[in-house]
Amino acid sequence: MSVTAKEPEKIRIQKNFDQIAWMAMRYSGVLLIPLAFGHMILQDVVVGVHQITTDYAVERMATLGWKLYDIFLLAFAFGHGMNGVRQVFRDYIHNPRSFRIVSSILFVVWLVISVIGAITLLAINPAMGR
Amino acid sequence: MSNLKTTLTGYTGYRGREGHWAFLLHRITGLGVVLFLAIHILDTSFVYFAPQLYDEVLKVYRSTLFGIGEVVLVFCLFYHGVNGIRIAYLDLLAPKAWTIEKTRRSAYLVLVITLVLWVPSAGYMIYNLLRHNFGMFGG
Repeated sequence: MSVTAKEPEKIRIQKNFDQIAWMAMRYSGVLLIPLAFGHMILQDVVVGVHQITTDYAVERMATLGWKLYDIFLLAFAFGHGMNGVRQVFRDYIHNPRSFRIVSSILFVVWLVISVIGAITLLAINPAMGR
Repeated sequence: MSNLKTTLTGYTGYRGREGHWAFLLHRITGLGVVLFLAIHILDTSFVYFAPQLYDEVLKVYRSTLFGIGEVVLVFCLFYHGVNGIRIAYLDLLAPKAWTIEKTRRSAYLVLVITLVLWVPSAGYMIYNLLRHNFGMFGG
């Protein structure tokens, strides 16, 4: 019998949201290594919270390069994080209806906080400083 | 409630060793980081929505309690990131290496890399905390 020698058959499955999310978690995670590590090492370790002032924050977020950096960080980090929370809930909520409700709540929380962050990043301009 | 009990006994009773500990650490550090991130996005929005309140936010961030929390946060993000690279590498590039022996070794490697990144960072942050909050090293 040559059962073991047989190559596994490749089958195509219709991609659903969670398959895309699974991939997105890995790709966004890799992207977040330079983005999130860079942000944290610079602000928490190198600069340090004692050197950060409102003027420093305004000046930084008004700079185009940092604005773009922060927009990417906001989009990828918080999306990655909230989908992670959703995956944790999935492990404990087995009722599909309950899980849909929890997912919807998490989606709204994600959207509201992301919009608040995006407004902040987009609205801050150099004139606000002093 | 019985669900929570099952979860906790499952977490402590399951003897998957390194792979299991890595899973738990990944989950706890991830939840810690995303909780901080939500707070951090909202407090940073004060810079635009209520600049006069942002000074109060900074005062909280400079407190000793938050300073210690910050050192823990840095560990969480470093661990979650380094272990995340391990997961992405194994899932996307080397799925055949998802064996007990190999993942046990890579779980230790992740911990070593995390400590190499975290110990100097934590040392420098604690130095700054002692300098600013306790007047040590010449204040």
